[in-house]
Amino acid sequence: MAQAAEAHGHHIHLQYQPALPLPNGKLFLWLFLSTEIMFFAALIGVYVVLRFGAPVWPRPHDVHLSEPIGAFNTFVLICSSLCIVLALEGAKRDNPSAAKFWLVMTFLLGSVFLVVKAYEYEAKFSHGIYPWKPHSLIYERPDVYYASAVRTRMVEITTPLVQQRGQIQEQLKSAEPGSPQRAQLEAQLQQVDQKLAVCDQYVLSVVNDPLVTPEKLAQLSYRIMHPWKDEQGNLHPPLGEEFPFLHGLPMVIPGGNLWASTYFTLTGFHAAHVLVGLIAFAFFLPKRLGQERTVHLEALGLYWHFVDIVWIFLFPLLYLF
Amino acid sequence: MAASHSHETEAHSTRVYWQVFLALTVLTGASFFTYSSYWPFHDTPAVGWTFMMAVSVTKAMLVMLFFMHLKYEANWKYVLTIPATVMAIFLIVALVPDVMWRYEPGAGGSQPSVERLRHAANPHEAPLLRSPAPHESSAH
Repeated sequence: MAQAAEAHGHHIHLQYQPALPLPNGKLFLWLFLSTEIMFFAALIGVYVVLRFGAPVWPRPHDVHLSEPIGAFNTFVLICSSLCIVLALEGAKRDNPSAAKFWLVMTFLLGSVFLVVKAYEYEAKFSHGIYPWKPHSLIYERPDVYYASAVRTRMVEITTPLVQQRGQIQEQLKSAEPGSPQRAQLEAQLQQVDQKLAVCDQYVLSVVNDPLVTPEKLAQLSYRIMHPWKDEQGNLHPPLGEEFPFLHGLPMVIPGGNLWASTYFTLTGFHAAHVLVGLIAFAFFLPKRLGQERTVHLEALGLYWHFVDIVWIFLFPLLYLF
Repeated sequence: MAASHSHETEAHSTRVYWQVFLALTVLTGASFFTYSSYWPFHDTPAVGWTFMMAVSVTKAMLVMLFFMHLKYEANWKYVLTIPATVMAIFLIVALVPDVMWRYEPGAGGSQPSVERLRHAANPHEAPLLRSPAPHESSAH
């Protein structure tokens, strides 16, 4: 064939044909997304396996998970997906101001998502729900290990109180009878004694009882985590809220450790993807977003929609299952 | 003539985006509805799970087809998406034995194995921790 062409005096015209009929940048982004599909499928798959293989899984309420907040964040991401596709549409029409407006909206909505996520994390951290041990206050069962952890925390709480009590008594020895300073010290002593009495009444009497049962420990954990009624039918807030000095007591949340590990892994990796998206938006925001930026905006959009799709699956799996 | 035609298609595609957005919002509301007290299948969670997954798959398809333009792309889309999807499904299927072998054989698949129960949460203790003590609930 080539010889025949040469024989006829024609040149061979070789034309570059890409393997797939799409720009290199877009091809790269889709290849990247296909690795991302496998990455998140692995994470979500492992979550499903752990979630449905677990003997007990915490209820959302036990781990301070708010379904309305999750739904709100889903809506925020859907809005941002719409915004970036409208930004791309603006660039296609060579309308840079429209493209910029929608990209700014996308950026803001992505930031709202991260702020809400940070607020949710804070709600968990402040209740001692961490995915790792030094900070985590989650115990799986109301057993001796739990009782021991409560005792350890109680030592941390009562030691300064006992020291304070000793100091006040020392000062009382030198205080003149009837002086205002003495009255003040006596009032302080009474406060410390009240706190110690609370420690003993609600916590130490349970965990220091050599015959304590899992039922008693479960009741204690319930009072640490939830509002509860006493024998007279009075409603009490959770112990750490009613008596702020009792904060940081360990809790029994069956399945809570596995829940925390999976929740923070999934939402953490997703939030990292959102953050990367925001950095990419910030890079393109100062530029002119005319027709010449169509390829870039399309790539940004494809990535952002993927992040949105991941959350579309994470929201029901984490909040509603 | 050609310019006005392309303008029409652009207006058309923008309208499609808003329609897809509306559908996505309604579908988010639909999966959130399973959380409300009006949802009739709270006793059989599997119904809710299936419903929510169906809704999520629909939402993901809407985003992929319209926002990511896969509906309008040439056949290369299959080259890039199908292998990744197949690998992802294989991965999840490969994990399934992990769920099965967690349970005591011959106990109908519902009894966690002794090895697991030694350190994991105990399902029989969970109700203790989720309800107040008897006198705390019955009184008043």
